[in-house]
Amino acid sequence: MQIRKNASKFTVFLFILLFLCGCWDQKEVEELAYVIAVGIDKAEDHENRVKISYLIANPEAGSTAEGGGSQEPPREIISFEADDFISSKNLANTVITKHVTYDLLRMIIVSEDFARDENFIRWIYDATKSMEIRRDIRLLVSKEDTATFLQNNKPVLETRPHEYFEKILDIGNEIGTTPPSELNTFFRITEADADLFLGIYGTTEKGEKKESDGDPDEITAGEFKYEGETNTTQFVGSAVFKEGKMIDTLTIEETRLSYLLNPTLKPGFFLGTFPDPFDDKYRIVTRIEANGPLKFDMKLNGGNKPSIHVKIPLLLEVMSNHSMTDYPKDAKKRKKLKESLKEDITRKFEDFVKKTQEEYKTEPFGWSLIARKQFGTIKAWENFDWMKTYPGMKIEVSVQLKLGKFGRQSDLPRLEEVRD
Amino acid sequence: MEQSKQLIGIKEYIAIVILMIGTKLSDDTPAILFEQIKNAGWMAPIINGIIAIIPIYLLMKVVGNYKDKSLAEVTDHLFGKFFGFIILFTLLVVAFCATIVDTAIYTDIIGTMYFTKTPTIIIYGILIVVCAYGARRGFEQIGSAAWTVFPYLQVSLLLALILSIREGNTAFLFPLFGPGPWEIAKESSLRLSIYADFFYLFLFFPLIKSKKDFIKGTWLGLVFIVLNIAIFMTCFVFLFDYKTIMQLSYPYHEVIRTISMGFLTNMETFFLPFWLIASFVRFSIYLYINALLIGHLFRIRHFEYLIPSLATLIVFLGLIPESPTFTIFNLKEKILLIATPLFFFLPVLMWVVAMFKGEFKHANKKKRK
Repeated sequence: MQIRKNASKFTVFLFILLFLCGCWDQKEVEELAYVIAVGIDKAEDHENRVKISYLIANPEAGSTAEGGGSQEPPREIISFEADDFISSKNLANTVITKHVTYDLLRMIIVSEDFARDENFIRWIYDATKSMEIRRDIRLLVSKEDTATFLQNNKPVLETRPHEYFEKILDIGNEIGTTPPSELNTFFRITEADADLFLGIYGTTEKGEKKESDGDPDEITAGEFKYEGETNTTQFVGSAVFKEGKMIDTLTIEETRLSYLLNPTLKPGFFLGTFPDPFDDKYRIVTRIEANGPLKFDMKLNGGNKPSIHVKIPLLLEVMSNHSMTDYPKDAKKRKKLKESLKEDITRKFEDFVKKTQEEYKTEPFGWSLIARKQFGTIKAWENFDWMKTYPGMKIEVSVQLKLGKFGRQSDLPRLEEVRD
Repeated sequence: MEQSKQLIGIKEYIAIVILMIGTKLSDDTPAILFEQIKNAGWMAPIINGIIAIIPIYLLMKVVGNYKDKSLAEVTDHLFGKFFGFIILFTLLVVAFCATIVDTAIYTDIIGTMYFTKTPTIIIYGILIVVCAYGARRGFEQIGSAAWTVFPYLQVSLLLALILSIREGNTAFLFPLFGPGPWEIAKESSLRLSIYADFFYLFLFFPLIKSKKDFIKGTWLGLVFIVLNIAIFMTCFVFLFDYKTIMQLSYPYHEVIRTISMGFLTNMETFFLPFWLIASFVRFSIYLYINALLIGHLFRIRHFEYLIPSLATLIVFLGLIPESPTFTIFNLKEKILLIATPLFFFLPVLMWVVAMFKGEFKHANKKKRK
């Protein structure tokens, strides 16, 4: 009896909920234009206006439930000048037939030009005001105007825009070519005023390839050369933000290093190459992954110069052997390889840390979060002033390298024997 | 009259206690605590919970001394008609203000976070109509409704907790003592009245099946609520860090907007109905308390009939403030600060008066006979 009573009461409650699901805020899926990405650029003439671009997805395109086989394209793009990206929703409706909504917004794209502007932060904070925008969307920086970027971006296979962006950014995250770059993190880091934020950096225009010593990972957006019938968009490396303003870009390699040095991120498997210690002509392909958490030894409060010691445990698998060295039988050669790799990797870490100290004056690794544990009160921490102290710190990086597998087939024939 | 008295058991009572006070974690109460105590805000519910033991214990001693007498009757008995009236009237004013402010906040949450286009008066109206209906059905009905929905609410909370812990970072808790240990103790004890609702629970004393159930239920409720609020506030820090959290108006709703579960990205639509149900139960009880007090003060026997008119009054008063997110936030903070000494010293005063009047000995004698 009691149960039936309760159940009927619960039904009444549920029934009352029906009233709350609509009335004025009722929205029909069919009558909405879903903005997947918002692009923000500087307006050409007005300093206090911005140019907004919308990438609107067509929910009908590409779905299996497609009834009459409509020939509509999967997306729609519109760019115009507005005061901000909130009021722009109404302006867009002078052209777009359906009601513009940010319900499914997945990313905000900013042109590099605008991201480097002092006033960028004023506009990006609009995202916290709008009700529909979620905090876990991503922040992208495009080398060119976002309008050009969105128009040039024509994925060949994943034509539905939300699917395309989700897939390519996820894969970039996994292999370390682009940082995770959540808007929530951007706000947090900007407000905490200690670390650097890394945003995803992408372009659709091919730039000049930098002359480098041939390491294919030392590239950033626009520097990757490829041919074929595919999309022109590439997401390579990261955009560095300091105090809510973009200051520089990082290459793929630097982005990966900051993944490995960041205790708050989970690095995936990174493929990379290092010079072969047995033959200068070749490079060894390796797969690197973190082998356990980073270990920190921070001495910040003592009278001496503050110092940080980071131990980075890495597991490295050797995937190629172009010099055809006899690793399985010869322990000495393996040792030499390990030493050489360790030296190379440590040098890379050290160089990068040095770069952050000298050029950026602070780090993108989230180390300030670890440092905070050494302070009892917020006041003490703020007096310490991480951004001021970081450039002068003594930082040591030591790599604990563990050699893993040597590929599926570990042994190779001796070249001398083959060419006999 | 005696026959129609509705008694409820311990589980319904605990459900009511937790829904009435625990729901505070989802409005702007955490924001008020974080504002002053920053990243150590999660300690405030624990510290306050420990302090709150004193007034609750003393009240139990005093009220538990009489059988079948609610807080209102005990107050009249201890302080006489005149002072009793003044004290209960003050309690009524505080309860009434709190109801107005809290309903206005919940309306604001629904209006700013979910239904942006619906006029405030409609949201407010529907919220209050539902709650008035609940309150009108009486205490027993509220109790069984609370118990029915309670497990679902806890499960939805747990899910939110798990999802946000997964995305959070424990390092944000540091520096552990935020603005300094002394500051934490001071600022949190000034806001002791986040638990002031416990005081009003003693109005229901004769409505619970046995004295033992009431005592056990209250303590269990307190422990549960302290844990609930403290864990959730820790979680808010995990997810947002202290600088951001100080700027959020409604942390819980930002949390459910941030977390996602696999391919389900817009999770807030899942959590909203659970939260709404909890709010309905909460305000039904608030309305009932108000009506109960008015009924006692002005000798209105069937006070349930007052509820609809009370509800209407609340809607119109609650609609007055301009830009409610700020005004009501400040109002609520003031009410919290004013109610704190009331919540702490009134039980002490009652206990002292009861001591001097020899009420405890009286009861002991009765027992021996």
